[in-house]
Amino acid sequence: MADVRITGLHKHYAGGVHAVRGIDLTIPDKQFTVLVGPSGCGKSTLLRMIAGLEPVDEGTIEIGGEVVNDMRPRDRDVAMVFQDYALYPHMSVHNNIGFGLKARKFRPEEVERRVRNAAELLGITPLLGRLPRQLSGGQRQRVAIGRAIVRNPQLFLFDEPLSNLDAQLRDEMRVEIKRLHQEIATTIIYVTHDQIEAMTLADRIVLLRDGVIEQQGSPLDLFERPATRFVAGFLGSPRMNFVPARLDPVDGVPALVLDGPTLPLDPSRAASFEEWRGREVILGVRPEHMSKADGGTSRKPAQAPIRVVIDLVQPTGTRTHAQFRLNGTDVTVELPSHTVERPGTAIDLLVDMSRVILIDPRTERTIPG
Amino acid sequence: MAERAGITGAGGPAVSARRSDARFKWLLVTPAALLILALSIYPLIFSIWVLFVNYDFQIPGHAFVGLRNFRQVVADPVARYALWVTVCLTATCVAVEFLLGLALAMAMVGTFRGRGLLISILIVPLFISPVIVGQAWALMLHRPFGPTNYLLGLLLGQEVTINWLTQWPFNFVALILADVWQWTPFMFVILLAGLTSIPAHVFEAAELDGVGRWQVFWYITVPYIAPMMLLAVTFRLLDAIRLFDTIFIMTGGGPGTQTYSASYYLYTIGFTQFHLSRATAGAWIFMVLTLLVVFLLVRRLLRPEAD
Amino acid sequence: MAGKPRTRRRPPLLRIAFLALWVLFVLAPLYWVFVTSIKPSDDYLAVPPVWFPSDPTMVHYTAALFAYQGLTGLINSIIVSVSATVLSVIVGTLMAYSLARFNTGGQHLSFWVLSQRFLPPIAIILPLFLNYRLLGLQDTHLGLILAYTVFTLPVSVWMMFAYFRQMPRSLEEAALVDGCTRWTAFWRVAVPLAAPGVVAAAVFTFIACWTEFFFALVLTSRNAFTLPTVFRAFLSFQGAQYGEASALAIVSLVPSIILGVLVQKHLVRGLTLGALRG
Repeated sequence: MADVRITGLHKHYAGGVHAVRGIDLTIPDKQFTVLVGPSGCGKSTLLRMIAGLEPVDEGTIEIGGEVVNDMRPRDRDVAMVFQDYALYPHMSVHNNIGFGLKARKFRPEEVERRVRNAAELLGITPLLGRLPRQLSGGQRQRVAIGRAIVRNPQLFLFDEPLSNLDAQLRDEMRVEIKRLHQEIATTIIYVTHDQIEAMTLADRIVLLRDGVIEQQGSPLDLFERPATRFVAGFLGSPRMNFVPARLDPVDGVPALVLDGPTLPLDPSRAASFEEWRGREVILGVRPEHMSKADGGTSRKPAQAPIRVVIDLVQPTGTRTHAQFRLNGTDVTVELPSHTVERPGTAIDLLVDMSRVILIDPRTERTIPG
Repeated sequence: MAERAGITGAGGPAVSARRSDARFKWLLVTPAALLILALSIYPLIFSIWVLFVNYDFQIPGHAFVGLRNFRQVVADPVARYALWVTVCLTATCVAVEFLLGLALAMAMVGTFRGRGLLISILIVPLFISPVIVGQAWALMLHRPFGPTNYLLGLLLGQEVTINWLTQWPFNFVALILADVWQWTPFMFVILLAGLTSIPAHVFEAAELDGVGRWQVFWYITVPYIAPMMLLAVTFRLLDAIRLFDTIFIMTGGGPGTQTYSASYYLYTIGFTQFHLSRATAGAWIFMVLTLLVVFLLVRRLLRPEAD
Repeated sequence: MAGKPRTRRRPPLLRIAFLALWVLFVLAPLYWVFVTSIKPSDDYLAVPPVWFPSDPTMVHYTAALFAYQGLTGLINSIIVSVSATVLSVIVGTLMAYSLARFNTGGQHLSFWVLSQRFLPPIAIILPLFLNYRLLGLQDTHLGLILAYTVFTLPVSVWMMFAYFRQMPRSLEEAALVDGCTRWTAFWRVAVPLAAPGVVAAAVFTFIACWTEFFFALVLTSRNAFTLPTVFRAFLSFQGAQYGEASALAIVSLVPSIILGVLVQKHLVRGLTLGALRG
């Protein structure tokens, strides 16, 4: 059983930096948990404390039920894949992978067997005799992973392993890592700043900000039901749009007033926002939740029409990102290609009000409903 | 499961990380610390005792003598003279080495054919024992059979009979010559490293702006390498103060005591006349003066912590 | 706007002349020593001086090495320099790693090690001489080796400190997670990676010991005297053993120059105790 239980964890650095501020976290056994957040949020520090590479200032860390605060890294039975791969440059790939086993005095036959298995699994068997400097970035990353899996640890730690790879390689390696987790079924804690990696790899996402947990849950949980503006804006690309508005009934129907255009609320949700009538809120709407009105045919009650003038067009291939201005904010909408070609075009959009969120401008928290 | 236990068990029982780390880091510094304690700190403490007693091979016993050792040193005109010689020689040598080193460094900036070979030649004097440097220059400057007087004679059209090792002021020139020959590369190497660390685009921008060469030097180059200049001068100064080897082999402090440096003076008091406690007192005075210079210079070095 | 127009590039004559003069200046004394070492003794008294002997001889080398005990001095120098280098580099590297990775002892320890470099030798030599006489270390190899080790420690420590500092920690951390103790991670990962720095520190330490005069002068006499001290026999303002002195000079400076030029890449780091990188 290799679940990780963290209680009341604090970490200070010299110069008064409070990198980790009282984190309580349970990482379930055998799951792929991703710690994600902007740089400086404390995710790497947290990971390194779990590994034993940074001492804990306050709080406890338990791995598999055992308190490991004062345990040396080698005694914690964890393996780690570093951002810069940290391969031993003076050793061959074979010796790099087998180093940990030799350090723990495994029998040579056992070392050999495990190294070969790992190399097979990762497709690097022909590279076993080479030195790290003779390998490409992707190959080095595989060797680093090989070194980790060969020890069969109870816990895998990944510290931004794909940051140094170019975009295409990153996509390939992401798939490999996901497949690896399915094969070996061990607890993985994965740190990244890339929300796409987080979304695609995680069973659970823990979003960190300034040393505290902003929200945790399954990827779709965080995506569809973000607790705060920060979470809503962090996940999803292109980013969610945030437009200031006021909740006021228009023609007796609860709606959002945007300094000109108005958007009637989704009737099935309108009741939850009753107490916000007359107050300022922030509308959060994802670019993909707006579509082109197809002229007159029936529309669902949750769809609110709006007419806008596009001022920027960015084609990406299958989709086009078009930008318009609404209530003093730039808003991006994702449309099929060729829907809009030139800036200055006016277009009718339908906003899916069943998917939008409303945010309290003062607390920056999502208004439930 | 059993496999798991085997893994953690293979390295021995789980040891406290904090304690094993602490043990490790202190263990690593212990040998060096012990050596320094035994062979540097202890002797210094021992010498403090020597300062206030009589320790002299010519006068037996270790009677307590108060401040007599200090008074003897301070009263000795040769001591004061030697200090003065040290100051003058050091200042002259370091200044000349700095200017020549800077000129050399500026001449060697940029890439050109044979640069590597040239640098290898230029640094050779740094790896030679100072006594040998003194010996070499003594041979060069020898009267009447050395090449120097001969060539000078050719140049000036009349016979040159300067005795470079015994004739004032030429004996000082000889000492300075030997020191400059050996230690200018020290300045050169450090200043060259500084000059090459200035990114090229700074100069390119200046060239585009039409800044003149002299202004580029004063307003761009010098401020950029000023910390390295200070480092080079400080290190060299602190070494030059100890001037001993070349004096020993070239002039023997002479004629008489004319070319006594502070270290040479203390050497003669302590190891030719064996007035050891008097020499120790002098050494301590000298050390305090040196530390004062170190303190003043190093403090300026360490303050803008730019590394 | 710009003063005179920049036309074609003139060859930097001033630069070339200056460098040529300086190279001449550097090589002249070395050449002269070499030539003097192979001249037959009669040539010394020649005016104009003999620029290259017509019948060179090796007689001064044998005289210097045997009649003047140069060979003993050479052997002693080798013993003392190699031993002190090994000790200094090992002990220094250990301390440097501890300082670099753990900041052991904070500023105080660092300061103490650094300040050894700036202590005037005369202040240490006097009490060391007295203590060595009492302990029976006077005029022994061990005595000089210990003294040299301590006096070269700052260079070893600070060169290796700078070297370890610029090595990324992730390799040692990977080793720790993989199953190494701090000690194993140090020996099997950090030290092999720092090998070039170790070699450079060793060479500079060796050269410092090989060329040192003052300590050897005072702390040795008939048994453990080193090569530089043999030159006492040739005090230039008295004697006329030019050939022997030159021969011994060549014997001494050739190895240290070769070694020094080989590690010149690390020279700036060595000279500034790691404060600057070349």
